[in-house]
Amino acid sequence: MYQDTFEEDDLVAEVELVAQARYSQQSDVEDNFDEDSTQQQPSAVQIPDGVRNFIMHFYRNVLDSNVYELHNIYDSSFNKLTDKYYTKQAWPEAEVIAPLVNDDQVFLTLYRELYYRHIYARLTPTLEHRVHSYENYCDLFNYILNSEGPVNLELPNQWLWDIIDEFIYQFQSFSNYRDRLKNKTEQEITLLRTSPQIWSCYSVLNVLYSFIQKSRINEQLLVSKNGGDMMEAAGEYGSRPLYKMLGYFSIVGLLRVHCLLGDYMLALKMMDNIVLNKKAMFARVTACHVTTYYYVGFAYMMMRRYADAIKAFSTVLAFIQRTKQYHARSYQFDQIAKKGDQMYALLAICIALCPTRLDENIHSQLREKYGEQLFKMQKGEESLPIYEDLWQYACPKFIAATGVNLTKTENDQLNDPHANQLKIFMSDIRNQIMLPTLRSFMKLYTTMGIDKLAKFLEVDAEELKVHLLILKQKSRQFKSVTGNLLEGEYMPTSDLDFCLKQDVVHIAESKVGRRYADWFLRNINRFEDIVAALEQKA
Amino acid sequence: MPATTIAHRPQTIQSLIDGVERYNPENVNVLEEYLATQCKNGDYDLMANLAILKLYQFNPNLASTNVIINILAKALTAVPAPDFNLCLYLLSEQATLPAVEKLTTLQQLLEQSRYAKFWETYNNEEYKSLTAAVVGFEAAIRQVIARVVAMSHQVISTSVLSSYLALSGDELTKFCNEQQWQKKDDVVQIPINEDNEAKAVVVIENIKFEQLTKVIGYSNEM
Repeated sequence: MYQDTFEEDDLVAEVELVAQARYSQQSDVEDNFDEDSTQQQPSAVQIPDGVRNFIMHFYRNVLDSNVYELHNIYDSSFNKLTDKYYTKQAWPEAEVIAPLVNDDQVFLTLYRELYYRHIYARLTPTLEHRVHSYENYCDLFNYILNSEGPVNLELPNQWLWDIIDEFIYQFQSFSNYRDRLKNKTEQEITLLRTSPQIWSCYSVLNVLYSFIQKSRINEQLLVSKNGGDMMEAAGEYGSRPLYKMLGYFSIVGLLRVHCLLGDYMLALKMMDNIVLNKKAMFARVTACHVTTYYYVGFAYMMMRRYADAIKAFSTVLAFIQRTKQYHARSYQFDQIAKKGDQMYALLAICIALCPTRLDENIHSQLREKYGEQLFKMQKGEESLPIYEDLWQYACPKFIAATGVNLTKTENDQLNDPHANQLKIFMSDIRNQIMLPTLRSFMKLYTTMGIDKLAKFLEVDAEELKVHLLILKQKSRQFKSVTGNLLEGEYMPTSDLDFCLKQDVVHIAESKVGRRYADWFLRNINRFEDIVAALEQKA
Repeated sequence: MPATTIAHRPQTIQSLIDGVERYNPENVNVLEEYLATQCKNGDYDLMANLAILKLYQFNPNLASTNVIINILAKALTAVPAPDFNLCLYLLSEQATLPAVEKLTTLQQLLEQSRYAKFWETYNNEEYKSLTAAVVGFEAAIRQVIARVVAMSHQVISTSVLSSYLALSGDELTKFCNEQQWQKKDDVVQIPINEDNEAKAVVVIENIKFEQLTKVIGYSNEM
């Protein structure tokens, strides 16, 4: 998807990325499926020749486990053909194309995965579609996990990530669908009530945990973290790329699922052995990279660890910005851009709650998108709707763990996880809305009597004391010091500090001295290089 | 304090919550008993308690209101850590129970540092009864409050401190001595600690010698 030259930055791009670059250049040459076909709209039974050729080419490569070619087919050709023939209707059903591929069940299962994903993306799935898609996933995962010994399948990483991603997405979609009881027929409700195992929480978690266990990915990561060779801990399944990557992506999958269920601490615990840096395996697939940071940042934010959340968001937003030009060609670009926007919104919230210095680029982008909101969030009572709007825009679609709503009557209160999370979040915010104003006044003085400060802020002395104590508590957070995501030290995160001596406030501000060493060193080295080059030419 | 590994968490509980057994509804009793132990001997284990709430989330028929109330009461003793909120996030239907709402009121008062009002509300029987199972609840809350006071004050008037802690006279003196604060007539002096010092700090850049090796190398060549 993008080449590995990033200005002066030494971002290490993995093999996949280089291979993708090679193939995206050749895509116009390879893509000659449509040469023979005329511009006919496919009828219910007839498959256009272009599609027919594509399917046979696809099948051959799956059999050959030709991962590089498969990536091109999957990422580029499939989408092109979809745009051409199937924007408004589904691809031909698996049964229709079965004769073309000798009824190969494994291939048909993979094909169905694409088929249903297309329906979810471009059309509206019915309850039947949802149920069949779930069964298809069960077939696929059963084949991969429960065959005798590891299977001989190799698929490109992008597809593996998309399988996990789509699986969770359809689970999320189903939970939301299940909880909306209006406009459902009696038949549908009965079906939902009598088959609780379809898209149940337990089965989704079971799949993800099974991949992790089978591939022994956690053991592998632990060995790698301590400087060893992953293959030592890999075992029979884990040494194969298919299982290893599915196991790895399942960890990120669990991070996501736990956030959707509101269990932020467990979500971060999943990432125990993954170190968040450029060389991590999630960086091989951009969508995975972005998703990981989004959920890590969101979990931190809901745990009130704003400093850590800001760091997570800044890192990935800088990454997206640097690589924007390479993504524009990819079909994933829209999704990544949307997630980026959501993260800017969350970053705005975190910055308002925990003012920190940001990297210049990020800061200017943030001001561009949310400058007005940032300003309003400093303004006390008026800021509450802004916080709420930003959060609603940026939060994931939470799910309820069980179909509790199915047993309720019209008069019962429905279980709404989204509203629950919002309420708790907003109650937190409400306790802090006076703080920006308080901070701005306190920056102006080194000592001040409580009564005087209270008069400035137009509150009475007791209220003021309350807010001062809140400020003190909020200026200290758990911040991650080592790589481990959940651990941290309770440390000050604000540059403003104070202490109360009876009725007088003593205020202190910490300043950061000017950093000139880095700039000088870099430029000294640069000049030396220039001089050396000139001398060589002379 | 990191809540992922607690020094006195029994090995059985540790392996339970680390693996997939935490999802097995049959293990809920083990975890509930562990909670009861925490209530009795003053320990506190967030991860294990969250595991109980998660089992309730997946198996609503197992949910026990009493257990939820005890977990929340325990979480109150951890303020200003966000533990209480983390528990609330996992409650689905139980979030609207009157008992939960009362405990949330207490939590809000603590988070807002409205300590006098906290004790006033707490002293109502319907509130007090909710925390009855937690041994040493009041002492733990006083610790929470004392911590915030120690972070923000160097000198505090006795009457104010008294209202914050709902202690007076001899009891207050005893408490101050335990905290190593000095009570002098009508003010209490709190020794300087890292949080209540309010010193202006200038963060200066720290240049390591290694960063200069290349530059020094160049000057050598001249």
